Amino acid sequence: MKALRFASVSINTILKHKMRAILIILAIVVGIATLTVIVALTQGMNKQIMQRIQNFGPDAIVVHSGGGKIRGPSTASEANLKRKDISDIENIEGVKLVTSFQVALDMPIKYGNKFTTSWVWGVESNWKDAWRRGTSRGEFITDSDNEQLSKVCVIGQTAAKELFGDANPIGENILIENVSFQVVGVLEKRGLSPVGTDFDNLIVIPFTTASRRLMNQPLYISTARVIVYNPSRIEAVAKRIKEILRENHHLAATEENDFRLSTPGEVSEMVKSTSKTLNLFLWLVAVISPLVGGIVLMNIMLMAVSERKREIGLRRAVGAKKKHIIFQFLAESLTLTLAGGAFGVAFGIIIAFLFNLSGKPISITWQPFVVAFLFSSLIGLFFGIYPAKKAASLDPANALSQK
Amino acid sequence: MIEFKDVTKSFQSGSIRTDVLNGLTFKVEKGEFAAIMAPSGTGKTTLLNILGCLMKVSSGSYLFEGIDIETLNDDNLSEIRNKEMGFVFQTFNLLERTSALDNVLLPLIYADTYPADAKQRAVKLLESVGLGQRIHYKPSELSGGQQQRVAIARALVNEPSIILADEPTGNLDSASAKEIMEIFKSLHNQGSTIVVVTHDLSVARQAGRIIFLKNGRVEKTEVLS
Repeated sequence: MKALRFASVSINTILKHKMRAILIILAIVVGIATLTVIVALTQGMNKQIMQRIQNFGPDAIVVHSGGGKIRGPSTASEANLKRKDISDIENIEGVKLVTSFQVALDMPIKYGNKFTTSWVWGVESNWKDAWRRGTSRGEFITDSDNEQLSKVCVIGQTAAKELFGDANPIGENILIENVSFQVVGVLEKRGLSPVGTDFDNLIVIPFTTASRRLMNQPLYISTARVIVYNPSRIEAVAKRIKEILRENHHLAATEENDFRLSTPGEVSEMVKSTSKTLNLFLWLVAVISPLVGGIVLMNIMLMAVSERKREIGLRRAVGAKKKHIIFQFLAESLTLTLAGGAFGVAFGIIIAFLFNLSGKPISITWQPFVVAFLFSSLIGLFFGIYPAKKAASLDPANALSQK
Repeated sequence: MIEFKDVTKSFQSGSIRTDVLNGLTFKVEKGEFAAIMAPSGTGKTTLLNILGCLMKVSSGSYLFEGIDIETLNDDNLSEIRNKEMGFVFQTFNLLERTSALDNVLLPLIYADTYPADAKQRAVKLLESVGLGQRIHYKPSELSGGQQQRVAIARALVNEPSIILADEPTGNLDSASAKEIMEIFKSLHNQGSTIVVVTHDLSVARQAGRIIFLKNGRVEKTEVLS
């Protein structure tokens, strides 16, 4: 009951100094809104990263030809993996399946008078098991397509849309680098790769056709995808693949790998490191702006304390204890910061949705609300305690005599 | 009720020491209306601050109802001010932008228990000082005399055992000053203990006894009725 009486004193005081209250609330709103937007954006980004890692596959290792640190797939021109490499990898314990494919980036594709570019991969029939990605309509590349070097293709949804719009592409012939291929199927939608490229801007053709007719790479394989039984054993399998490939490629201990492995761990590291700097910067802004709000609060409250010395002196004279004065000022700060927090979170969510409309991934969960509540309470208490203590420590006789 | 024994008070400002009270000794009995008379700038307000437990003595002792004030901590002093004392200041010291009624209720906010009849009590007090029609007026809407009457109502709301007034008519015209002193007299007649600190002999003459101060100690006392 007593606390309620004191709280009503604080509320009344706030209502009597509206301009001051609005300024403090505004300062907190800016801080908490920024925090909310940044939480929503980073959450959205993380969700997207997780989705991309999921797209890569948690149980997959991709073996690329060529060493170095280049990201993205190796193309057929740098292919140096051999059939023996693939069959040795197949024999590693824990490996479920291996599929080899030839990669060409940005191949010119033509249908009638329409033109686009797309990745073209030469694949084996088990590619669909290794990627868990079949066709949404029509057929996939079969073993007999590979045996007969068939000129058939399965096209991704981006390519399908570019070339055929909403029409059914199956049975149509398209030109891939001026070689005619019949469309036999459309790939299931997959979304973005871990580095942000479009997994749907892809056309797959038989591996043999790609090697011999399109990419002129009959001996070597550019890329292989290895699926393991147990995702937790993936690093061990990756290590074994490295050993086998180094041995097969006769690499001396001092020589660098002439191949690269992508594992889910590595992919997630890579994706995270690209967003790390940005994240750090965002979080810095997210933490600093509420702090600035807190400093504004402290400033205004300190001004209020010196403006209201007589009031404080009078309250002390009629019986307010030091703790009552502290409570009154702290309750004022807290009420203002919590109001600022509530408006800030609402405002922040609106801004986050606007970001979302412009294509940024966002994720709004319970977190912004809890973070805003905690932050605004902490700011209210942390930046409010000093002015409150200052008010309480005023000498009552002295404060009363202030003009 | 009040007993000052050899009280001194000095202020240090840099290297300069100012002795305001120099061995002040006097008593005020329960039910008395006493005026403490001193020229301006000779420590009247300091004395009232000490009487009101807002300031401590430098040496000597101040007994209030037999309790040595020096032995009490800050919270105890707040409680005494809240329960036993009512203050009336020269400059009224009302809360701005706050109604007369809420100003009168202010001391009760800090009481241990908020009386159920607080509001009726405040209204009644405002009526008794002639402000029954203006309980929702803010200080800026009231004259000086009216503001001081709100302050008196505030001083009475916690039913204090003593009313301490510091130059209560100092900021008022003579008609309002007279009204205020009439209120004090009638309160005294109803049994209240009142101490008025003033430099104005005509104000002091309304009291039952005048204690004249000079150089920080009692010069003489004069019993009037």
